[in-house]
Amino acid sequence: MATENGELLQGTLEMLVLRTLAHEPMHGWGIAHRIEERSSNVFLVTQGSLYPALLRMKRRGWVKTEWRITENNRRARYYALTASGRKQLSVEHGGWVRTVAAINSIMDAHWAGAGA
Amino acid sequence: MNILSDIATRLRAVFFRRAEEAELEEELRFHVEMETEFRAGKGVGEREAARQSRIAFGGVEQVKDSVRDARGTRPFEEALRDVGYTLRNLGRNPGFAAVVILTLAIGIGGTTAVFSAVDHVLLKPLPYQEPGRLVRLYGRTTEDPAGHNFLSPVYFGAYRSQLSTAEGVAAIYTYSSVGADIGSGDRARRVRLLYTSANYFDVVRVRPSLGGAFRAEDESGPGIEDNLDAALVTVISHQVWQDNFHGDPAAVGKSLLMNGKSYQVVGVMPAGYEDPIAGAVDAWVPVDLTSVTDPTQASNHFLSAIARLRGGVSIEQAQSELDRIALRLTDQYPGQKLERARLDPLKDDIVGSSSLALELMLGAVGLVLVLVCVNIANLMLVRSSERTQEFALRSALGAGGARLLRQLLVESLTLAIAGALAGFLVARFAVSAIVVLGAGTIPRLNTLALDPRLLGFSLLLAVGCAVLFGLTPAIRAARTPPGDALRDQSRGGTSGGRAVRFREWLVISQVAMAFVLMVGAGLLLASFRALGDLNLGIKPEHVLTFELNLPGARYDSTARAAFFERFAGEVAALPGVTAAGGISKLPATGAYHQWGMAVTSGPLVGDAVRGRTGAQNRVVSGDYFRAVGVPLLEGRLFDARDDNRATQHVIISKNLAVRLFPGVSAVGQTLSLSHGSEVIGVVGDVAVTNEGRADGFVYHPHRQFAGDRNWPLHQVILFTGDRATTEAAVRRLLANDDPQLVVYHPRMLDEAIGKGAAQRLFTLRLLVAFAAMALALSALGLYGVLSYGVKMRTREFGIRMALGAARGTISGMVLRQGLIVASIGVGFGFLGAVALSGVMTAMLFQVSPLDLRVLGGAVLCLAIIAGIAAWLPAHRATAVDPRSALQ
Repeated sequence: MATENGELLQGTLEMLVLRTLAHEPMHGWGIAHRIEERSSNVFLVTQGSLYPALLRMKRRGWVKTEWRITENNRRARYYALTASGRKQLSVEHGGWVRTVAAINSIMDAHWAGAGA
Repeated sequence: MNILSDIATRLRAVFFRRAEEAELEEELRFHVEMETEFRAGKGVGEREAARQSRIAFGGVEQVKDSVRDARGTRPFEEALRDVGYTLRNLGRNPGFAAVVILTLAIGIGGTTAVFSAVDHVLLKPLPYQEPGRLVRLYGRTTEDPAGHNFLSPVYFGAYRSQLSTAEGVAAIYTYSSVGADIGSGDRARRVRLLYTSANYFDVVRVRPSLGGAFRAEDESGPGIEDNLDAALVTVISHQVWQDNFHGDPAAVGKSLLMNGKSYQVVGVMPAGYEDPIAGAVDAWVPVDLTSVTDPTQASNHFLSAIARLRGGVSIEQAQSELDRIALRLTDQYPGQKLERARLDPLKDDIVGSSSLALELMLGAVGLVLVLVCVNIANLMLVRSSERTQEFALRSALGAGGARLLRQLLVESLTLAIAGALAGFLVARFAVSAIVVLGAGTIPRLNTLALDPRLLGFSLLLAVGCAVLFGLTPAIRAARTPPGDALRDQSRGGTSGGRAVRFREWLVISQVAMAFVLMVGAGLLLASFRALGDLNLGIKPEHVLTFELNLPGARYDSTARAAFFERFAGEVAALPGVTAAGGISKLPATGAYHQWGMAVTSGPLVGDAVRGRTGAQNRVVSGDYFRAVGVPLLEGRLFDARDDNRATQHVIISKNLAVRLFPGVSAVGQTLSLSHGSEVIGVVGDVAVTNEGRADGFVYHPHRQFAGDRNWPLHQVILFTGDRATTEAAVRRLLANDDPQLVVYHPRMLDEAIGKGAAQRLFTLRLLVAFAAMALALSALGLYGVLSYGVKMRTREFGIRMALGAARGTISGMVLRQGLIVASIGVGFGFLGAVALSGVMTAMLFQVSPLDLRVLGGAVLCLAIIAGIAAWLPAHRATAVDPRSALQ
């Protein structure tokens, strides 16, 4: 999840990066920007956590990298999901859904006798 | 996790570090630019956008650092940096590095090489199947239970047929070495024969690789004496098969000419096979065992025997069965009622003579290894004390304890690995040196190779020692608050007590061990000199010797008698030759033909005890006594009068004359050996062994004894000129007389006698090398401790001198400290030498294990070395300039 000032925890960041890359290969700034945008700027992706996370994911074989030319003619390192990255995404997504459901069921339950 | 992509990423990070960094740089710059553009697009001014994006980004270097962390190659990069730092550090202090590496090299190399030799000769099993079950059978008597005598054929036969605890008992004729001339004409050469019983090959469990072994009926063959009717068969060595039959598989069944007689080859032994007792053999021939049933042969001892015990049978069980058999035999042969036999493990029997030397060497190796470890510990401790401040400073500046520990580990390992490599080279060199030094004197040494397990053992030990003591400064730094250590420096206090005391004890133990090694080496040296000075009763210098055999087929006893006398005369007439003769066994090369006899004249006639004795019997030809320098004391030497027509004549040694004919002249007295003999002369005593063991000698003239058996005689030629010239002249002379005869094993007499001495010399050389090593190591240790002490006390000395202390007083203090440490070490060393004196006694010859000259020499030697080791730092102490020391 995220800390108070919106910085993502490591595991959550990796899941969000995987989900973002599932759409299309992207460079680092693009990934950070897309996550911030989609979360309506709730989450803040700092470079100090993004680039180490990308490197770790590369070591695990979830992403592969490639230098490409961007639309406005600049060289940038693009990250793309590998097959094992896709598998990892579905594993983490499933886990996330279960976690959220479990947390919700606790948070939304009617607590008989509590408070009042 | 995908391991392959992980490794690929890490490897790339290590090997393409620069490219990786550049890409990271570019990626981050791109990020900032994109951010700037993005913000600018939202209407913020360009400079403001750049500022905001840099703030949003955080410190570029921090980001880079966390990416580098994520690469997972940090520890490796830091280790590389540590190695670089270590090398620079050691480079600043090359003396220290050199001493550590040298110590490790000597320790690992020397000890591994000697360990390998000991293991190879002493600990490795014999190259036979289930060698633990092979034993040697010796004859003994109830009066001499430790005897190592030959067996008579009758007793051998009984043991072979009755000993049920053994799978088989085989006879070997080693009573005297038997040679044969093989082939004929110019290509004739002399080979070594071994007479064995037919079951020999089953007992050693090595069958001929081609053809077969002997059959039981072959034992009635010609044997040692010539028996011309019997079938002659032989099993030949792989070498003879190659040389004489060119490795032809059809050699089996063919005939081979030996000593002029034709033998049928029935088998070929596998390549490299050596007899456990006789060693390299060229041809095996069945021994004549027809006498096993001849009761008159019950007292004729000439057979050696080896046996293979049944599985699960202990030596004690076999021995008690052997005793029961021997006891039963006394009923049958009442004349031999004292006769028994004993069993020795074959391995003990073979290495027995050298095992003591090797065990001694093992002890020396152990001591040196301990010395090496102590020295390494000492050096590392000294260095660590020197660096206490460095570590305190680094730790005050924020270096973590783990970081310092790793740094030291890398340093110790770098030194240890360099030392180990050097040690390996030294070991390789030392092994070849040992093989050269011990060639021919230590059995089975020629196949010595470096044992990888042993090398691993000493590597581990030395490296472990270096690492253990190398880490102490980190531990000490962790214990001492940096502030204290730094303050200690500024005060320049007098040496920190406990660490110094510990190192002094290390040096004391070093000096003690060096003292023990030096005493050991000194004792062997004294012993060796005593042996060299030993009077063997002969003058073996300038005497050329070789064995000469006359084939029985072409020379009958009359011809042999005539030939040897004529040949001796011809050789003596050669220019540069003083005297020449022959003998059945060279003097001082061991016991041989020990026959019993009784006096038939003189004061002891009829005395059943004192009038009977055993003595060494030798057959001589030509001018033997003059050739080897045995003086005639009474009567005359043999000459042409002592021929077949005369009564049997003998010459006896002085000690035998005194024993058998006390108070009267021995000349003209008579003895009963196998036949009555008259004493015509008395000569000087001659040693039986090269260690000077004495025995009585009876010499028989070959002229009268040629018919007893075909004696190959060792020719002895006393000459004044050059050996090569003399040998060539003798060879020409012999070729002229009979071109088919062989000059077998020509060598100098002192060389032939010196075999035991050579083994002692081998041990001595190794021990001296070890003692020198120990001396050097302890000198280094002493020097290290004292010079460190001086360094630590520079300030103190400065104060003392500033207060008026004379330079002599200062150097005296240091010198005294060194000599006190050395004296305590010598004291402990002396106790060690006393404790070990029992072990040493067996190795020594006419030297007490606490010989005063040796002990004094070792003390003197150590005093000089300790003096030098202490003087250098003492001298340095006086060179301290009070002003600079106090600043």
